[in-house]
Amino acid sequence: MSAIADSALAPEGERKIRWVAGWMPVLNRVRERLRADGTVDGRRVAVILPVEPKTAYLAAVLAEAGAQVAVAFPGVMVHDDVAAGLAARGVEVFARRGSTPEEELGYFEEVLALRPEVVIDDRADVIRLAHTTHPEVLDSLVGASEETTSGVVALRAMEADGTLRVPCIAANDARCKYLFDNRYGSGQSAVNAILDATNLLLADKDVVLLGYGWVGKGIAARARGLGARVTVCEVDAFAALEAHHDGFDVAPAVDACRTADLVITATGVRGALAPDAIDALPDGALLANAGAVDDEFDLASLRERAVARRRVREHVEELELEDGRSLHVVGEGVVVNLSAGEGHPAEIMDLTFAVQALSAAHLLRHAGELRPGVHPLPVDIDEEIARMKLDALGLRIDSLTPEQQAFLQAWEAFA
Amino acid sequence: MATADVAGRSRIADPSLADEGEQRIAWAARHSPVLTALARDRLGDGALRGRRVAVVVHLEAKTAYLATLLAEAGAEVVAAGSNPRSTQDAVCAALVRRGIEVHARHDSTPEEFTADLLAVADTGPELVVDDGAELTRRILEHRPELADGLRGVTEETTTGVARLRAMEADGRLTFPAIAANDARCKHLFDNPHGTGQSALTAILRLTNLAAAGKRFCVIGYGWVGQGLARRAAGYGGKVTVVEVDPVQALRALMDGFRVAPIASAVEDADFVITATGLADSLPASVFPRLKDGVVLANAGHHDREIDVPALADGEEVRPGVTRHDVAGRRVHLLVGGALVNIAGGDGNPVEIMDLSFSVQALSVHLLASGGVPPGLNRFPAELDREIARTKLATLGIELDEPTDAQLRVAREWSA
Repeated sequence: MSAIADSALAPEGERKIRWVAGWMPVLNRVRERLRADGTVDGRRVAVILPVEPKTAYLAAVLAEAGAQVAVAFPGVMVHDDVAAGLAARGVEVFARRGSTPEEELGYFEEVLALRPEVVIDDRADVIRLAHTTHPEVLDSLVGASEETTSGVVALRAMEADGTLRVPCIAANDARCKYLFDNRYGSGQSAVNAILDATNLLLADKDVVLLGYGWVGKGIAARARGLGARVTVCEVDAFAALEAHHDGFDVAPAVDACRTADLVITATGVRGALAPDAIDALPDGALLANAGAVDDEFDLASLRERAVARRRVREHVEELELEDGRSLHVVGEGVVVNLSAGEGHPAEIMDLTFAVQALSAAHLLRHAGELRPGVHPLPVDIDEEIARMKLDALGLRIDSLTPEQQAFLQAWEAFA
Repeated sequence: MATADVAGRSRIADPSLADEGEQRIAWAARHSPVLTALARDRLGDGALRGRRVAVVVHLEAKTAYLATLLAEAGAEVVAAGSNPRSTQDAVCAALVRRGIEVHARHDSTPEEFTADLLAVADTGPELVVDDGAELTRRILEHRPELADGLRGVTEETTTGVARLRAMEADGRLTFPAIAANDARCKHLFDNPHGTGQSALTAILRLTNLAAAGKRFCVIGYGWVGQGLARRAAGYGGKVTVVEVDPVQALRALMDGFRVAPIASAVEDADFVITATGLADSLPASVFPRLKDGVVLANAGHHDREIDVPALADGEEVRPGVTRHDVAGRRVHLLVGGALVNIAGGDGNPVEIMDLSFSVQALSVHLLASGGVPPGLNRFPAELDREIARTKLATLGIELDEPTDAQLRVAREWSA
């Protein structure tokens, strides 16, 4: 039994799902293949991803290929109409905008009670939950496929201390995922969501960006493309040098924040924006998080410090501090392209969800063969997805001649 | 003027939306430091006291703040929208509660729209802040006797200035008018930066599609088209420009964009955006050449830049997106061909309109003060510089001054 806000919203949700389906040619090919080969037919698959149209279409594709699919996610990233549309397609959905943390835990537990064979996870939330409080579900779990950088980090930590009991594919680390989703998907949609939410101009702004990973790279490029001056704050020396050579200013956060109009976090680290950097911010500065971790800046303690709090636009909260400054938080400190927008563009998620669908199929096809631990998506699957996308775009590329291949394989000096 | 009278005379959709409208106006006010400073320092000298001022500009939060400041300077302000698709009912409700008479409703019919503008005309305005000369041309056409009472018109847009010029050529511009659009603080920022950013973000939000790697066809390389091309490239798009002016076409080429005639330019375009100020800039004759799945948007002045009547009836596939069948190909039209950044979003960024409306505020103040001759006038260069200096001061940016020696050398002419 699904737990959703309002099943009457299903037609609007269905319309949104259909729109994105038209822009996901690779996932459509994967659907045909899975329907034909029966890999997921009758298998129980949990999809733990933000409930928006693209995710819904992934769940629908798996269901159309015969899988029993259950979907759950915390409420701040749930579109109730899409949840209703998906439930109407026969997928079990446990997600409702505005759900409480207790309810959300309950939703995850409902999904685990269905004894999924594969979990397509986000931030490793459900895999961690299974290992900590519900180990009984691990016996029937064939494996998991992880969507985010921060989730892969958590799974590696579990592997390192010997607690990870199932094989997990780092879907995030597939090239068809992070090279496009993290960079172009987040870059466009995070910047767009902030501009939509605020109706402000980027062209005269000092943007301070914490983190120059793939997400940070995409945001920096797009912010510059819209005319902003971007300063990158990093803890990693290589990433900092990369930012420098890409033409961005590099500075410690506490210095960069002194003149910041807009701070965007993209680190995957809780508390990435330290209190002294927040204290350095000028009056009126905007804060948004584009990373996968909710508390990249400590909104809870900012709210506690605030002498007044008010909603100034639909997705903007003003926090008036005791020192007289006001800070504006966009999208509740949660990944802003989903909390204040519709998430990544459909064509980008076409690649990501082709990775996820084929990753789930790979786990099921090789049930029992993969050892517990973190595995890459096989390179041939990754490459095949890229070729399907090129083909759908009508793009052709060259291939190596036998002589060129021979050259690359020769190792003798002066061959 | 009693608020009850104002409410009685106004024609708006829903007074109960006032709180939401207030919130939006407050946000706009907060990010309009130039207008706020100029209102404080310049508008309150009595020139506007008791003057009947009509504000006929896209009726959303930024315009409402301008109307409010004019009212606070003592003017009797009546407001209407310049396009029914851009009118925000919540903002209208807040304005009426602030004691300003409003005649505007979102999505009113062309007949209702004209009736609203004539109702504004019938209040006998002395000063008009116009957009597209929508009110001025209706006064000349339907209420010619009221033209004698006009102390001046100040015009917001390229298209409106062209219309005023046409009126002047016909000998109908018997009153002073100022081409506010042609002020540097307006067209150098509002047209390229304001519309460039807001049209692109609106298109991407309405569709949830990716810009990276897509081909954008920009029709018209005026100030708006230049901004669209630059921002489309900034989002990772490839741009083809269509022009009829050879100088502008060369400019586009040297700015790094492909230039082509419309018939071939649309063939590989994923997005086609019009910005010409002309009717049928995207004519039905090129529809058969459009690519399957193309998205059409208008960022120019009026709603006729795309030949929408020639498209077959469409089906709404997402809010603001209709799908039309053209010879078996899917063509997606955004917000019915209306201005995409205003009808499909919140319009230009606040900081941009801060500059544009500072021009309008000083322009209407100048007209109220008298001394501007009948006919079309330039906005005084000294006021233009004052606005730019004020904006720089709010950003904490100081400027250098030329030295006496430099000025002396600049004046020398002998070899």
